[in-house]
Amino acid sequence: MEEQKLIEAAKAGDKRAMTELVKAYEKTVYNFAFKISRNPDRAEDIMQETFFSMIKSLRQFDAKSKLSTWLYRIVVNHYLMWARKNRSEFIPIDNDDELYDNRSATDWQNIPANLLENKELRNILDTSIEKLSPEYRSVFLLRDVEGLSTEETAQITKLSIPAVKSRLHRARAFLRKDINKAFQK
Amino acid sequence: MNKKILCKDVMSHICESLGEDFDSPKCIAIKEHLVACPDCIKYFKSVEKTIELYKKYNCEFSVEVHNRLMDSLGLDDTIT
Repeated sequence: MEEQKLIEAAKAGDKRAMTELVKAYEKTVYNFAFKISRNPDRAEDIMQETFFSMIKSLRQFDAKSKLSTWLYRIVVNHYLMWARKNRSEFIPIDNDDELYDNRSATDWQNIPANLLENKELRNILDTSIEKLSPEYRSVFLLRDVEGLSTEETAQITKLSIPAVKSRLHRARAFLRKDINKAFQK
Repeated sequence: MNKKILCKDVMSHICESLGEDFDSPKCIAIKEHLVACPDCIKYFKSVEKTIELYKKYNCEFSVEVHNRLMDSLGLDDTIT
């Protein structure tokens, strides 16, 4: 059944249609929840909360946006709620002189493609992105990692398009620089 | 006045414009600089690599995680 028909059937209380919708998006939601929270258990909690919200509020979904965009927004909202409750410390990334430092333009050509099998690299990636505030992290992950458009990212994060672009380029520069520092250790 | 483009400008613009429209006059000037500047080429490639690493770093979605999700939502995916 095509997605629009599944949504209509699920809205009308068809459990099989709801199950199909959950199955269609569970991996996407889980992986995005993991990427934003950097923790498999937290990702599972966020995924469950996201689908609870979907089931509860599907009748309000007006199909003006894609279902996937709507789900990404719910994941971001649940993650932001968690982050506010846990009040982690994040690094401010407002200083362009520090972000775009020529001296940090080292060559990454020798980094092997299979490096992700290395636990140390995964730790570096986790540590770097955990320093980004949730607002920067959401924009980077939605736009660059999930491949959403600037407009969709703005819609999900409730930011203007210039604000998305500004956060995106700062997040990219910060992550690149922080990972670069770790590679040089 | 024809202002000289600095590496810092290029790096900022690469970060701002990766995946965006590359046809603006500023972009064309940036591309010309990029071709001839080894530091900026390295920088550009490392930004691309950063994105690639985060894209590829996923967490396994196990059957157990799926089953717990179905249980928690009161859904049964064994009914066809």
